[in-house]
Amino acid sequence: MRLRDRFNVYPDSPLPDLATPSAEAFLAEDRRDLARPLFALVCRPERPVRVQTMRSLRGLQAVGLLQLVEWATAHWPPVGANAIVVVYERPLGGRVMPTLSAEIRRVDEYEIGKRIIAPLATALKELAGRGIAHRAIRPTNMFWNDREQGSIVLGDCVTASPAHDQPVLVEPVESGMSWPSGRGSGSLGDDMYALGASLVALTLGRAPLAGQDDEAVLTAKAVQGSYLALVGEQKLPLSLIEVLRGLLCDDPEQRWDVEKLDLWINGRRLSPLQTRVERRAQRGFAFAGQEYRSAPELAMAFARNWREAAAPLTEGRVELWVRRALEDKDRANAIAEIVNGTMSASTDAKTASEVVVARACMVLDPQAPIRYKGLAALPQGMGAALAALMAEKKDVGVWAECIMRDIPAFWIASRTHYDPEYTMLLNNFRDMRDHLRNAGFGGGIERCLYELNEALPCRSPLVAHALVLEVRDLLPALDEAAKNAANNTVPMDRHIAAFIAARFRQDVSRPLKLLNADDPVRRIEGILALLALVQWRMGPATLHSLARWVGNLSKPIIDSYHNRERRRRLERGLPRAIRSGNLVEIFHLLDDAEERRADSEGFAIARQEYQLAEQEILRLQGDDAEREERANRLGQQAAAMTSVGIGFLAATALTVMRLL
Amino acid sequence: MRSGGGGRPWGLLAAALLMVPFALPSAMVVAVGMLPTAVAALADRSTTRNAALCVGGLNLAGTMPYLLAMWFGEHTVAAAMRLLGDVFVLMVMYGSAGMGWLLYLSTPPVMDTVLQALTQQKILALRGRQNRLVEEWGEPVRELPTADDDG
Repeated sequence: MRLRDRFNVYPDSPLPDLATPSAEAFLAEDRRDLARPLFALVCRPERPVRVQTMRSLRGLQAVGLLQLVEWATAHWPPVGANAIVVVYERPLGGRVMPTLSAEIRRVDEYEIGKRIIAPLATALKELAGRGIAHRAIRPTNMFWNDREQGSIVLGDCVTASPAHDQPVLVEPVESGMSWPSGRGSGSLGDDMYALGASLVALTLGRAPLAGQDDEAVLTAKAVQGSYLALVGEQKLPLSLIEVLRGLLCDDPEQRWDVEKLDLWINGRRLSPLQTRVERRAQRGFAFAGQEYRSAPELAMAFARNWREAAAPLTEGRVELWVRRALEDKDRANAIAEIVNGTMSASTDAKTASEVVVARACMVLDPQAPIRYKGLAALPQGMGAALAALMAEKKDVGVWAECIMRDIPAFWIASRTHYDPEYTMLLNNFRDMRDHLRNAGFGGGIERCLYELNEALPCRSPLVAHALVLEVRDLLPALDEAAKNAANNTVPMDRHIAAFIAARFRQDVSRPLKLLNADDPVRRIEGILALLALVQWRMGPATLHSLARWVGNLSKPIIDSYHNRERRRRLERGLPRAIRSGNLVEIFHLLDDAEERRADSEGFAIARQEYQLAEQEILRLQGDDAEREERANRLGQQAAAMTSVGIGFLAATALTVMRLL
Repeated sequence: MRSGGGGRPWGLLAAALLMVPFALPSAMVVAVGMLPTAVAALADRSTTRNAALCVGGLNLAGTMPYLLAMWFGEHTVAAAMRLLGDVFVLMVMYGSAGMGWLLYLSTPPVMDTVLQALTQQKILALRGRQNRLVEEWGEPVRELPTADDDG
C-alpha cells in the first residue's frame, strides 16, 4: 500500500511489538530513503483519532518524541476500506516496559534524571509550546530510540482520543474515573501526572499497585492521595521523592509544571508538597451492603449503584453523616441545598432524584468527573464519550439526558477555581441542548457528535468506508457510493446532514429547512440544494455518478411545477445537466427562483381563470327562466316591429299605387 | 307612463269621433275593420303594448286597401256599408289581424331557440378555454384555491 506516493506500508508485515491498544503496527519504508527505519500505525476506522495533533506533529523532530513522519487517509486492503495511517520513525531499542505486569530492570537513580526525565521534560516543553497535551505517557508507550538504550522517546499519541489507552494507574483521579473515551483533551498537568506515575514504575522496575483493579486503584488515589497510593511504603531514592510529590500532586493548581521540573533537573531543590489526605469518618456510612468512611468512596459507591443512591440522599441521611461523622459542615450544607432546591423545583420526583445524585456526587468528590447513570466523563470528554457510544452502537439516551438536564453546567458550577475554558464549555453544552431539541436533519444527537468531535469521520453508512474527515472529501465519497446505489436510496441521511451542518463554514439553514419539510418534494430539493452548495464551495467540478443519482431523484421536483411546457423544458434540460456532472447546474435548472415564482403566479392566475369560466358556465346553464323571459321580451318586440313595419309599408305602397 | 299608456286608446277614440262628422264612411270602416286591434289593445296590459302593436300593424295592412278604395272611389256611408257587409272584406281585415296575433305568439319561441343556441356556443367557448388551461397547467388547475396557496 502506497502512502502519499512516498511511503510503502506492508500489510503482510505486522510489527506487534510496536502496536498500540488502538492501532496495529506494520512495516513501512521511505521510497526516497530505503535505509530509514520506519513503521506505520493503522488506526481503527470506528475510533476517533487526533487529526489536529497529527497535523501539528507531522515532521516535528524533537528530543524525547518519536518522530511522526507522515499521515494520511488511505485505502487499507485488509479491511477493504479507508483508514488513517500514521508513519513513525522506528525506535530501535524496543519498548521500555512491554506490559504493565512486566518487570524490568530498575533505572538507576543517578541515571533517571539524565536518561529519562530530562529528554521527556524537553519533549513535554516542545509539546506545550505547540499547545498539545500528549495524553499517552505511560511506561508501555515509551521506547528506547537507539539500540544502546541511551535515549528515551514518548510513543504515539494520535491514534486514539486523548488518554483513551491510558491505564487508570497513570491518570489523575478525575481522568481515571472517567470512561477511557471521556477523558477529554486534557492538559500539560495531566501529562506531568502521567510522567510522575510512569517514573514510579520505572524506578521500581514494575508498576505499582500491581494486581489491583481500577476501582481499587482509584479508591486508593482518592482516599490517600496519589503519591501515597502509588509510592506507599516503597523505598525510593530520596532525590526522587521531591519530584514525584510534585508531579503526583492531586491538585492540578499545585502540581509541578515543566518549569519546576526544569528547575529540579538543573539542581534547584523546591519545597516538597504535602499530600492532601481525605478526611475519614469514625462511623461509616452503610450503603449497598458496605460501609464507607470517606466522601469520595461513598460517591464512587453512589455512581456504581445509581438506583439505590437517591433514597439516602433525599431522606437526608447522607447530609447527616457528612455533618456529624465527617464533621464537614460546608459539604453537608451544600448537599442539603441541592436536595431541597432540586426536589422542590421539579414536579417529576424521579428526574429530580437523579439530578440530586449526580450533583451530590460532585459535592462528595469534587475531583471526580461528571457521573450520571453510569456515564462518567469530564466535560471536555463528553464528545469523545458520545463518539465511543455511537461507535459501539450503545444507547445514547443517557448521554442526551445528561446534556438536557444540564449536568455538565452543574459540574462546572461546582468547581472552586475558574478556568476560561469553562465559559466556552457552557456555551457548547447550551448549543448541544439546542441541537438535541431540533430532532430533524442537521440536528439531534448526530449534530452533537460532529460538533463535539472535530476530527471524527462522517459515520454515514454511505461513506463510512471512505473515512471522510472533511467536507471537501464528502462529495467524492458520495460519488463513489453512487456507483452502487440502489434505486430507492437517497444520497443523504442524518449523519451526512449533521456532518455538513457542523463542519461546513457556510450558512446551510435553507437547505436544512427544506430537508426537514413534510413535503417529500421539498426534501429532495433540500438534498439537491445542500449537496450543490457543498460542490459549489468545495468542488470537485464534476461528480458524474452523484449527479446521475441526484438527477434520477429529481422527477418529483419537475412534477412539482404546474406548467406543462415548463416541465417539458426541464425534462429536456435535465439529461444535459446530469451529463455535466455538476450538481449546481442541476440545482439551477430545477430550483430557479424566478421560474418557480412565475410558475406559481401563472398557476394562480390560471386557476382563477378556470374558476371564473366555471362560474360563467354555471350561470349560463342554470338561468333558463331568465333566458325565456328575455326571449319572450325580444320576440314580442321583434314581432311588434315587424308588424308595424309591414303595416306602414303596406299603407305607403298602396297609397303610392293609388296615386300613380 | 301609466297615464300615457292608458290614455292613448282614448285619444285615438277621441280622434276617431272627431273624424265622424267629416269622414263618417272611413270612420265606420276603421271602427269595424280595426276592431281586433282595439280588442288587442284592451287585452294587452303590458307597458310596451307589443300585442296591440303587432295586431294593429297587420290589421292596418288588411284594412288599408279598402280605405284607399273608398278615398279614391266612392266615399259614402253606403259604400262603407257595402264593404262592411262583404264577408271577404271582413275576412281580409280580420285575417290580417289574426296573422298579427300569430306573429306575436310565434316569435318568442323562435327567439328562445336562437338565444339557447347562442348560450351553448358561449359555453362551448368557455369549456374550450378551460380545456386549454388544463392542458397548459394540468388537472390541479381545476381545484379551488386554498388558504395554503395564498400563503
